[in-house]
Amino acid sequence: MKNTLRGLREDMGWTQGHLADRLDVSRQTVNALETGKYDPSLPLAFKIARLFDRSIEEIFDPDG
Amino acid sequence: MMTSNLDRSEQSRGDRARGWAYVREFVPAMLAYCVVLVLVLTFGDLDGTSPWRFLWAVLPVLPLIWVCITVVRHLRRLDDYQQRLTLQSLGVGFAVAMAVAVTMGLLGAAGLQTLVTPWIIFGAGMAGWGITSIVVARRA
Repeated sequence: MKNTLRGLREDMGWTQGHLADRLDVSRQTVNALETGKYDPSLPLAFKIARLFDRSIEEIFDPDG
Repeated sequence: MMTSNLDRSEQSRGDRARGWAYVREFVPAMLAYCVVLVLVLTFGDLDGTSPWRFLWAVLPVLPLIWVCITVVRHLRRLDDYQQRLTLQSLGVGFAVAMAVAVTMGLLGAAGLQTLVTPWIIFGAGMAGWGITSIVVARRA
């Protein structure tokens, strides 16, 4: 599943490690999310959406 | 192309905290295991005839349970993705251990008996877990 997480993070000027701390996950997990190797659980997807003040659909593209 | 400073692959504070928590719990448990093992091998008289030698022989299992608890606590601290990766490597380690156990069992049925069979199974399982962990971590 494609997503815009990397762009959103960079817009905020955050490192992967900083975003990982904000989401309470590992940096490895943030990297896997950004590269599309891992689709987040629903709670994590909601957490990401809330953090960037976007809807889940704006960040994650199920058809991607 | 210049690499962005935001692409640094250093661990997050949470990663470091989780790592240290694991080390803090795992190292004392392993040290206790080593100490008990040395005591058992030194004073246990495992080659003797006393029935107490069986109790001595299984004493290291107690700190080993402590080690297992620290590993489980570490697994519970991981996030979903890391748990999934860990589960993959544990699954491969388990499958390898079972395959080697069956192989050694068949060889035993054919008359090849050896005292180190349990350690071969243990080693194969741990090697399967360890190697798969490295492969999975590199691909992640």
